[in-house]
Amino acid sequence: MSMAVGSGGGQNADMNVTPLIDVLLVLIIIFMVINPPQPKGLDALVPQPPPPNAPKNNTPDRTIVVQLIDRGAGQEPGVKINNEDTTWDGLGARLTDIFKTRAEKVMFVKGDDNVPFADVANVIDIAHASGVDKVGLITAKIEAGG
Amino acid sequence: MAIAKRNEGAKVNSNINVTPMVDVMLVLLIIFMVITPMLQNGVSVDLAQVNNPERMPDAEKEDAMVVSVMRDGTVYFRSDKIPVDQLTQKVKDRLVSQQDKRVYVKADARARFGAVVAVVDNVRSAGVDDLGLLTDQKKVGLGAPRATTGGQ
Repeated sequence: MSMAVGSGGGQNADMNVTPLIDVLLVLIIIFMVINPPQPKGLDALVPQPPPPNAPKNNTPDRTIVVQLIDRGAGQEPGVKINNEDTTWDGLGARLTDIFKTRAEKVMFVKGDDNVPFADVANVIDIAHASGVDKVGLITAKIEAGG
Repeated sequence: MAIAKRNEGAKVNSNINVTPMVDVMLVLLIIFMVITPMLQNGVSVDLAQVNNPERMPDAEKEDAMVVSVMRDGTVYFRSDKIPVDQLTQKVKDRLVSQQDKRVYVKADARARFGAVVAVVDNVRSAGVDDLGLLTDQKKVGLGAPRATTGGQ
């Protein structure tokens, strides 16, 4: 009994780590929850040159090409469906109308170089919403047949 | 001697030893902090926002061919900056061993379409015909995705 007397005292030399653990737990939970969002995107096709001996496409005039015309910096680009002017608001309805009676829902998008990519993405999005299954991108090189 | 036998009861410490737990937590924390930015493929750009994008889970795969176009028109294949005209060769090389033949284009919303067209041209020369244009879901108001008419 008497040997244990000296070691009494209520002092505790341990650090209080409880708040530290609280903070760490919350941080861990935060990092676990913010897993990066699933990537999303728009499907687009690039027409490949046909094989040299392929039969000629005999329905060329049914192709729908949506064109984005650059109207200068800061201006909303103009939209054209087969050289026919439309508005951004009317584009979806117009496309739905065109593709309502068609079996192959294929469309092409062409844009001026200075058009922001966001507008092109918007057109493709509107096209997908109007029921177009396949959206092809036309570049100057593809148009030239290269 | 015989009396002192029960003395240990006086010094029982009722605190849990939390030091190992804190060690584990710290390590976990550091792991999560390091991994979170690394999960993203390619470089990070300001994506265009559209109303109804499709899910493209394959773009997240480790070997996905992600081509990023920055606002100023610089092109990154995965995370390496390369000139646009070398893209064809690069994609061709990878295409041989690749399961997923699709190329993902991660273009900045404000990039000129001309820069994207240059990428598309070069990717097309490599024989790719399926592109995925990575975009974000457009948010209206406080994060609620807008219900679209006639959407998919």
